[in-house]
Amino acid sequence: MNNGLHRLVYYSRNRVGQDPQTLSAAIKSILSASRRNNAQVDVTGALMFNSGCFAQVLEGGRAAVESVFERVQQDERHGDVAVLAFEPVKTRSFDKWSMGFVGASPDDIARYDTLAEASGFDPARMTGEALFQTLHSLALEEEGKQ
Amino acid sequence: MFSEVLNQVIRAFPPRPAALPEMATAVVILDEDRHIEYVNTSAEALFTPIDPVGATLPDLFESCSAEGGDDLFASIDASDNPAPTRIRLSDERLLDGVVRKLSSGGFVLTLDDVTSYVREAELGLRDTLTGLANRKLFTTQLIERLRRARESKQAIALLYVDLDRFKGVNDTLGHQMGDALLAKVADRFRSATRDDDLVARLGGDEFAVLQTGVEQPACAESLATRLVDLIGRAYALNGHMFHIGASIGVAVFPSDGAEPEAILKSADLALYRAKADGRGCYRFFEPAMDERIQARRLLEIDLRRALALKQLHLAYQPQVELETNQIAGFEALIRWQHPERGVVSPAEFIPLAEEMELIGPIGEWVLRTACKEAASWPRPVSIAVNLSPLQFKTTPLVEAVRKTLALSGLDPGRLELEITEGALLYDTAAVLRDLEEVQNLGVQISLDDFGTGYSSLSYLQKFPFGKIKIDQSFVRGIDRDGQRQAIVRAITDLASALGMTTTAEGVETPQELTCVRAAGCTKVQGYLTGRPMSVEAASNLLANDVTKAGAEESVR
Repeated sequence: MNNGLHRLVYYSRNRVGQDPQTLSAAIKSILSASRRNNAQVDVTGALMFNSGCFAQVLEGGRAAVESVFERVQQDERHGDVAVLAFEPVKTRSFDKWSMGFVGASPDDIARYDTLAEASGFDPARMTGEALFQTLHSLALEEEGKQ
Repeated sequence: MFSEVLNQVIRAFPPRPAALPEMATAVVILDEDRHIEYVNTSAEALFTPIDPVGATLPDLFESCSAEGGDDLFASIDASDNPAPTRIRLSDERLLDGVVRKLSSGGFVLTLDDVTSYVREAELGLRDTLTGLANRKLFTTQLIERLRRARESKQAIALLYVDLDRFKGVNDTLGHQMGDALLAKVADRFRSATRDDDLVARLGGDEFAVLQTGVEQPACAESLATRLVDLIGRAYALNGHMFHIGASIGVAVFPSDGAEPEAILKSADLALYRAKADGRGCYRFFEPAMDERIQARRLLEIDLRRALALKQLHLAYQPQVELETNQIAGFEALIRWQHPERGVVSPAEFIPLAEEMELIGPIGEWVLRTACKEAASWPRPVSIAVNLSPLQFKTTPLVEAVRKTLALSGLDPGRLELEITEGALLYDTAAVLRDLEEVQNLGVQISLDDFGTGYSSLSYLQKFPFGKIKIDQSFVRGIDRDGQRQAIVRAITDLASALGMTTTAEGVETPQELTCVRAAGCTKVQGYLTGRPMSVEAASNLLANDVTKAGAEESVR
């Protein structure tokens, strides 16, 4: 069975609520848990939050991606999880990130969310490839800042 | 060292019986102050490398991280014949310990290693695949927890959970994949429940949860909601994504049943309801469910008799060729005329027949009757017969078709078998092989209800269908809906590119007819061009060669 490098792209609906403080705390806790867990199994990727949706890319060995994704699925802070892509890939695109957060910072999310909505970004209307590209380009921007 | 000093003191004590040091049972002797003064060889081995002599029992257990030993003396104080206390050593070995008073003063503690005994007992109560409780443990726990709830006047919820679509995974991808998926499902059960809840795998894809010590029915409702959500989320497994669901029936003690059997039955009825309501949901037991199940049982009894009592008959609905405006054939539709019930809708009894495994004999009867009746018609038009997906499983289809054609004398080219996408969902290779053989007999295979299933386009690739029947949901109101026009046009284009013809179903108005004609459909079927009729009426219609398609349209 192919245990090579795989990439999984999904988006899901926020169930944490709209309160800016709760939301930003939830995102920070999701990030710190995934950074800790992902580093252990060598899974990399990026998370973004926009228009009430989480969008995430996970990449790593097949079994590792599957086990990280299973933990994601058991998390009740989000729901309506839609997997847009799950496929073997040749290279990692987020190799510097155990779990990067791209787009507005967790603290700015609540403030900017309506802005993002106005800009027309809606993960629910994107293909796996488009969503992946969005996260990837945001990640590159983010790296440029550092 | 302190212990050595003590050992010397102990050696000065009166000699122990000679057999004591070699006994398999670990023996610990304590003085009046409950300090250990002697251990035999077995006891020494248990606690190596710690030297227990001189220590108290709590100190000893603490120093070797053993659990459960605190109550050893509690039992002796309460009774002369104490029950064993279970002690768990840090290496997971399990000991049963009993402390007794010695007549000569002091105490003796005996320790029996019961690790393997307990493990085996546990194994007999645990589902080995998922580690959840098995049916046996579930049953004893149900009885025990109901007893306790009765005493403490508390409520208990029983949730029966059936996985939806799991059998498909098991059948198509094999048991190994199915087992791996079940293990993940069990994990999700564990993540959704509390430690006090008992989660059991009752067998196959059936699970149950006993929820105790919380407020009911509120907590059962939130647990059921969580389980439907969590279990219904996609699974990534061995490079594939799997989508299954959960149907849940909930019964609450004591309102839905006071005895184990009663509450099990209530949960089962509620589960049945959840499945009947489309699965992927939960239902609480309601007393009325009992009546509905009763009604269904009576319907089942009647349906079993329907064939023998000749209550089934066929109606024939014309299919009109749009190019010539002539009747090109009929679709045979099953009717059940019951003396008391009146006409029972196929939508009601066909799913029941499928569940009762009556669909095989009923399907064969339809095929036989349709071929025989069509063979006597004045013109050799086509005769379409619906096949249930389950007929592929229950009857040797090719043989049945071959035999029917021979018996009826019907030209194979006139017979058309309509299948739905459902037939291609599972065990596809075997189904395709069957269809191919039937097609080789000269029979046409059509894809029914096109556009309403899951991934219609992939099925078009899997089999060279002669015809696609466009579902009525795209046809109804097509004249007032540009999107439907576009969809029907796309289907007819696709069909003609693949060398298939198309039949628009459910055409009811001249305007709809004009639209499907403009969209390029080959044939139409619907109330406008002819309602289902008796075999005699169908035969007469053919004899008179009357078609209404052109006439109706020119009326407007």
